[in-house]
Amino acid sequence: MRPAALSLLVWLGGVAVLVLLQPAHAHAAGETVQAVVNQLATQFMCQCGCGLTLASCTHPVCGPRDRMLAEIRRLVEAGKTPAEITDVLVAQYGEAVLAAPPRRGLNLVAWWGPYAALLAGAVVILLLGASWTRRPAPQAAPPSSLTPEERRLLDEELRKFDV
Amino acid sequence: MSEIGNLSVALAALVSAYGLVAALLGAGLRRADLQHSARNATYALFLLLTVASAVLLWQLVTRDFGNAYVASYTSRDLGFWYTVSAWWAGQAGSLLFWAWLLAGFGTLVVWRQGAYRELMPYVIATVMGTSSFFTLLLALVSSPFARLPFPPPDGQGLNPLLQNPGMFFHPPTQYLGYVGFTIPFAFAIAAMATRRLDDEWIRATRRWTLASWFFLSLGILFGMQWAYVELGWGGYWAWDPVENASLMPWLTGTAFLHSVMIQEKRDMLKVWNLVLIILTFALAIFGTFLTRSGVLSSVHSFALSSLGPLFFAFIALVLIVSFTLLAARLPWLRSAGDLDSLLSREASFLFNNLILVGAAFSVFLGTIFPLVSEAVRGVKISVGAPFFNQVNVPIGLALLLVMGLCPLLAWRKASAANLRRNFLLPGALGLLAAILLLLRGVSQPVALAAFALSVFVTATIVLDFHRGAMVRRAHGEPYPLALGRLVLRNRRRYGGYIVHLGVILLFAGMAGGAFRTEREAVLRQGQTVAINQYTLRYEGLSQYPTPGALVTAATLTVFNGNEPVGVLNPQRNIHRGHEEQPMTEVAIRSTLLEDLYVILAGIGEDGSASFRVIVNPLMMWMWIGGALLSLGTVVAFWPERREALRARARYLVGAEA
Repeated sequence: MRPAALSLLVWLGGVAVLVLLQPAHAHAAGETVQAVVNQLATQFMCQCGCGLTLASCTHPVCGPRDRMLAEIRRLVEAGKTPAEITDVLVAQYGEAVLAAPPRRGLNLVAWWGPYAALLAGAVVILLLGASWTRRPAPQAAPPSSLTPEERRLLDEELRKFDV
Repeated sequence: MSEIGNLSVALAALVSAYGLVAALLGAGLRRADLQHSARNATYALFLLLTVASAVLLWQLVTRDFGNAYVASYTSRDLGFWYTVSAWWAGQAGSLLFWAWLLAGFGTLVVWRQGAYRELMPYVIATVMGTSSFFTLLLALVSSPFARLPFPPPDGQGLNPLLQNPGMFFHPPTQYLGYVGFTIPFAFAIAAMATRRLDDEWIRATRRWTLASWFFLSLGILFGMQWAYVELGWGGYWAWDPVENASLMPWLTGTAFLHSVMIQEKRDMLKVWNLVLIILTFALAIFGTFLTRSGVLSSVHSFALSSLGPLFFAFIALVLIVSFTLLAARLPWLRSAGDLDSLLSREASFLFNNLILVGAAFSVFLGTIFPLVSEAVRGVKISVGAPFFNQVNVPIGLALLLVMGLCPLLAWRKASAANLRRNFLLPGALGLLAAILLLLRGVSQPVALAAFALSVFVTATIVLDFHRGAMVRRAHGEPYPLALGRLVLRNRRRYGGYIVHLGVILLFAGMAGGAFRTEREAVLRQGQTVAINQYTLRYEGLSQYPTPGALVTAATLTVFNGNEPVGVLNPQRNIHRGHEEQPMTEVAIRSTLLEDLYVILAGIGEDGSASFRVIVNPLMMWMWIGGALLSLGTVVAFWPERREALRARARYLVGAEA
């Protein structure tokens, strides 16, 4: 059974790799201007103060949003690439128009900080884990050599001396 | 009436301060009378805040517009239940609601868990300390009973965004969760103060933790649902600062919920558990603070205020006191247990915790990063949905993987046989699912990974249910009965699995978002717009007044292929008193496969109407997942008879010793 299961896994893995290598941009040519605008709307912050992207601004009527979307549409229709559109909007509204901060300078802390922390945590767990697994049977530390009840009584007695 | 409210709040602040001092002195001096008095102060606090809340509710219901709060959040035409919800709709009211819940929980603890005699004074002190902060805010900074010199003839009315059934459930459940975590935190402080650092405090608060986690989960889910049906942009989670604020304590609380099991079973991770509950409580306060301070712009900051610095000071105080106490107790916190192997359930829980806390950290960093950037570089930046999605997707997938691995790794040391037995079949099924999806044209890598992992985790859980049931069946029980009894006899374990199944469905629903499609169209009567297999025909507009609003509704006939499947009526309403802010009421047609979501975006003067039409795949599964998560938590929460008997036996043995 086992070799059969293994060979099945290998076969399945092979098929997966083959399918993954297929080009996935077949329908890119058919994308409409609207689809590009919708996509870009998720990348820029609405300037109405809602603190959300153009795609998720919650105001049913929102002048700033409509103006920006119209501008983006005009740029897309003029054949600008998303990178060029980004430059235009950043020049106009400042860096805060980007829904995700550009990956440079201080912003790298936000982008990579979580992963660095996770990596550090994993290293700590592995090191600690290794030392815990190697450690001989635990030597009872002085405070824990007492039962909780004894400890309570001791605390009580000591407290009497404190007063 | 307002005088009674003001007096109750002022007395509540005094009683809180008194309770704090009495509890601490009672514990320090070993004075039973002071301890008793502190206990009674908890009851008094609850009574006083109940009176204050009753006064506010009375004023809301009777439309006492002389009260500034009532005038700001209600109007004569507001329905009864929304009037009640005004209790927590505004800043002062919601602070009162917070304080009232806390006093209620404190009373429940004193009444039901008085047996923890050593811990109780410090538990009371912590509850009273927290209550002092909130009641002082109510008494001095943000009173729900401030009077207006001239009562207006009518109030400003409740923000139309808040007039949705979801808002009746979302804030209370959210607050129940936030406030609930005060109790495990209070027990943790008490455990540190008394040096009773075994698993007593964890056992004492297991149910509190579970209940708080449950309510926080529900609060988040109700919030998502509200955002989905009410905010009208087609999504349910925008990574808004306040949404993030609710997610952070949920993540650390989830980590805590898991890691306490290691302390119970193996007497390990004592320091870590204390750190987690301190963080969870601080983040819960931070969540309340973000909602109410307006320090970060947010759709939820319905009131700007001067509360920011005070909340900040309180959080700092909580962290300083807690971590100082923790540092002082480190010598007593050495773990008795040891790790036998890095390939064991204990170790996998460490990774589960790491990922959950890592996720919380990433959300925290992203949420506060605009402030950091402005402080360091002097440049305003935005950190929005694309950032959080990109950073958190890999973390979420890792979490999903660990969710499959954790529960089925053996304690102490997993053998090769254990791994093969539990993971070979689910692993193969996950891979198979990935291949089938690829063949069906699903090439989005994140969605593919999420679905494949979902299948893997589901298979591990189903396999474990099946094995357990088969063992019982071998003893003569029919299979369905065996399955039912299996769950009922091991509620904690199988309840947990049911929660996991719910979380998988949530993940699947989120992954479905990768296949969302959207169209915008300006239609004249009789024209159609097509999206996927649907065609929507615009039939016309109708306008009619309701007690609080002027409704403009579009009628659209929906065809699935050529077959008419229903009529949708997206609306655009102008609420009285909020004429400058028309509200969209979306129309949603839900099936198990997908939601057809229609927004009436605008109305032309020539009778044309513009629509945004969205197809959101698998949305229904999110809500089903939420229901399953709730069901699982209830199963895990439900007391087990045998456990109760064992607990009593332990108590009796302890009493004789």
